[in-house]
Amino acid sequence: MVHLKIDDKTIEVPEGTTVLNAAKMAGIAIPTLCDHPNLAPYGGCRLCVVEVEGARTLQPACTLPVFNNMVVRTATEKVRGARKFVLTLIFSERNHFCPYCQVSGGDCELQNAAYGEGMTHWPLQPNWQSYAVDASHPYFILDNNRCILCRRCVRACAEMVGNNTLGFEERGARSFLVADYGVPMGESTCISCGTCVQICPTGALIDRQSAYHGRETQVDRVDSICTGCSVGCNLEILTRDNNLVRIEGKWEAALNGGLLCEIGRFQPIEDTTERLSTPLVRKNGALKAATWDEALKAIADHSAGLAALASTHLSAEALYAFKQIFDGGSSLEEGAFTALGAAFAEEIGKSFESNLSALNSADCFLVLGENLVKDHQVAGFFVKRALVKNTGLVVVDGAENALTELADVVLKPGKGSDVDVLNGLLAALVKLGLSKAGLDAEKVLTAAVEKTGISADTFLDAARLLGTASAPAILFNEAGLAKAGKVGFKALSDLAQAIATPAVIGLKGGANSVAASQYHLDKPISIEGHKAVFVALGDEKPSQRLIQRLEGVSFLAVQSAYASQLTAKADVVLPVANWMEQDGHYVNLEGKLQAARKAIVPAEDVRTNEEALKALAAAMGVSLNDDWKAALTRRVSAVAIEA
Amino acid sequence: MTKPKVASDWMCGCAGCHMSLLDMDERLVAVCQLADLRATPITDLKEPDESGVDVGVLEGGINNTSNEEVAHRMRKRCKTLVALGDCAVFGGVPAMRNFFTVEEAMRRAYVEAESNDASGQIPNDPELCVQGTVRAVHEVVPVDIFVPGCPPDADVIFYVLSELAQGRKPVLEGDKLHWH
Repeated sequence: MVHLKIDDKTIEVPEGTTVLNAAKMAGIAIPTLCDHPNLAPYGGCRLCVVEVEGARTLQPACTLPVFNNMVVRTATEKVRGARKFVLTLIFSERNHFCPYCQVSGGDCELQNAAYGEGMTHWPLQPNWQSYAVDASHPYFILDNNRCILCRRCVRACAEMVGNNTLGFEERGARSFLVADYGVPMGESTCISCGTCVQICPTGALIDRQSAYHGRETQVDRVDSICTGCSVGCNLEILTRDNNLVRIEGKWEAALNGGLLCEIGRFQPIEDTTERLSTPLVRKNGALKAATWDEALKAIADHSAGLAALASTHLSAEALYAFKQIFDGGSSLEEGAFTALGAAFAEEIGKSFESNLSALNSADCFLVLGENLVKDHQVAGFFVKRALVKNTGLVVVDGAENALTELADVVLKPGKGSDVDVLNGLLAALVKLGLSKAGLDAEKVLTAAVEKTGISADTFLDAARLLGTASAPAILFNEAGLAKAGKVGFKALSDLAQAIATPAVIGLKGGANSVAASQYHLDKPISIEGHKAVFVALGDEKPSQRLIQRLEGVSFLAVQSAYASQLTAKADVVLPVANWMEQDGHYVNLEGKLQAARKAIVPAEDVRTNEEALKALAAAMGVSLNDDWKAALTRRVSAVAIEA
Repeated sequence: MTKPKVASDWMCGCAGCHMSLLDMDERLVAVCQLADLRATPITDLKEPDESGVDVGVLEGGINNTSNEEVAHRMRKRCKTLVALGDCAVFGGVPAMRNFFTVEEAMRRAYVEAESNDASGQIPNDPELCVQGTVRAVHEVVPVDIFVPGCPPDADVIFYVLSELAQGRKPVLEGDKLHWH
């Protein structure tokens, strides 16, 4: 521990703490602009300068580590004068006129900093250099005229997302933000995660949908989670007068640290899919508005021999109600991402998957059959951002995978299965003397080479990376691994053991894949032979495959938030809330139980998935219990569930 | 004790700050009881007393030789000069034309604007004042009190005037400090 004095307050902080954080711990606020708690200290803006006894000049608090017996003063004349000077220079660089800026009035960190210093005017007027506004991006606008060159966006794009799209051109006050090598933002390598927009302290990056729709003081914030994939990023839903204004990642969240992807941040507000607002029942060949009672009765009348499918977008509460109503029902995934993992966990009697935080300390990744850039984007960010630290990346994927261009070794099996690749890797490890697994390395490796068409050298390169790493992590997608059946997990587990890593992360399907699996909604289901089918879609958009599968079913009932090809074909449609309009719990791929919360009140006749299913149970004469939470842990799962 | 004399004038602005001044409503009576309200754009007297006033208030930035004259006259005739509103303090909305040339701005206003017909032309009478860069008041004459805001709230204007009328220097901070 280090002892120091800040503004006559004697404090003790761990070694390596910056003066800024030490002051924060002591309850002393030092203004900042370029600093952000989720980014590495940068020391660019100089607003946080403090007086340090013995130092010749003022020192930036954000980058200066504390030392023993240090004496710091944060509010002297000299410091306050320097802050005003720094702000004066920043204001003089660009167009920082407030009246026509979207963030003016509380949301601008620059304006707030000036207020904090009691600045009533700019001692230096702007230099009137102007920059073209880049409005080429579909979700946000870049206005370099509002930029203060703090580079938070550039650092977030690199440090947090690992995408490295943003950068600066020119030097000093002439610097300006560019995408790639100066292409329009909309044509750049930007992946639309929106982290730069959320982290921008001024109005230089503003998003199109929320701009001018409500300032911080005018909006309500609801803590919730994203249900776009099985990562379950923590986010805040910002609403005003029951309208969605914006979605922001939660900076404090241990899981995603403020990160979201395009699906979580922008798609919900861009979505214009037609909503269903009243129950529908087919009469004389056409779907007609009906009452809930009529609609529920119509389904209850067909309950004999009813096949039922539920989306893994549904909350645990709704899935559990569904399970109790339809004993033979399954999820729309039918266990593709979970069934074998659960079976393997049952066989070995324990959970074996770990959580995503392992990715932050890993020094080598093995990504198996999962397109992280597309399907679990935030997990992909965790991988991509680690690569600058010389972290190894081995990608195994027979299909197109955007991670391959970043990989050190790519294993692209032209034939065979993931299991053959895993066996080949294990044999290569043994051959290199990096594992003592008891197998005939030469023979297994030759077999793997033959089965997969991957060269022995590639296997050896990958094995060398994995075997010499001190904290390798494996990310895999069960849907791919499952092709070879149960042996897949054995092979995976053997490899994890060989490279001595507990970091095995199974990426799942929908937001509640794990809960559905725990409720045994994970078996393949046959539609044939069923006269009637009930699909609890919730806010999932039906796949073409599902629509084709349900072609020709004589009675189809769909519970859905959105109008779709499937609801158009249905005989009964129950209108339900989407994820923002209802409370519910989700178990993410790490087994973490999280709550999604209602932020928006839906249309009058729209019910939550849980309410709809409970009403259906009543209409069908099925009694339900609310043990959804206890039921989550009644069976061993691939990943330990914290419920 | 004689009441302190207050005068105001406007330059390159939208008159919104004076509207906000009127939004003081019944408190205008209180201000008039404390101060002798002299020349303003909304009273009959149009120029500050040659003999001088205690407080001069200027709305708007300075964008031509006429504005310069108004600013210099007010500065010369008042003891304390108040820059009222974002245009007077920073340049404000009119200062946006500084990102273009005066020629471009004039052409846009008098020739290209959608409301003009083909006869639109840039005024060029030799008696007209000369346009220049839009400046904040403090770029032309020294300012004593800056009251930012677009417009400043009536509450803020009341605070500033009542403090000055009572011989105190208003301090804008916390709730009273808004740039808008």
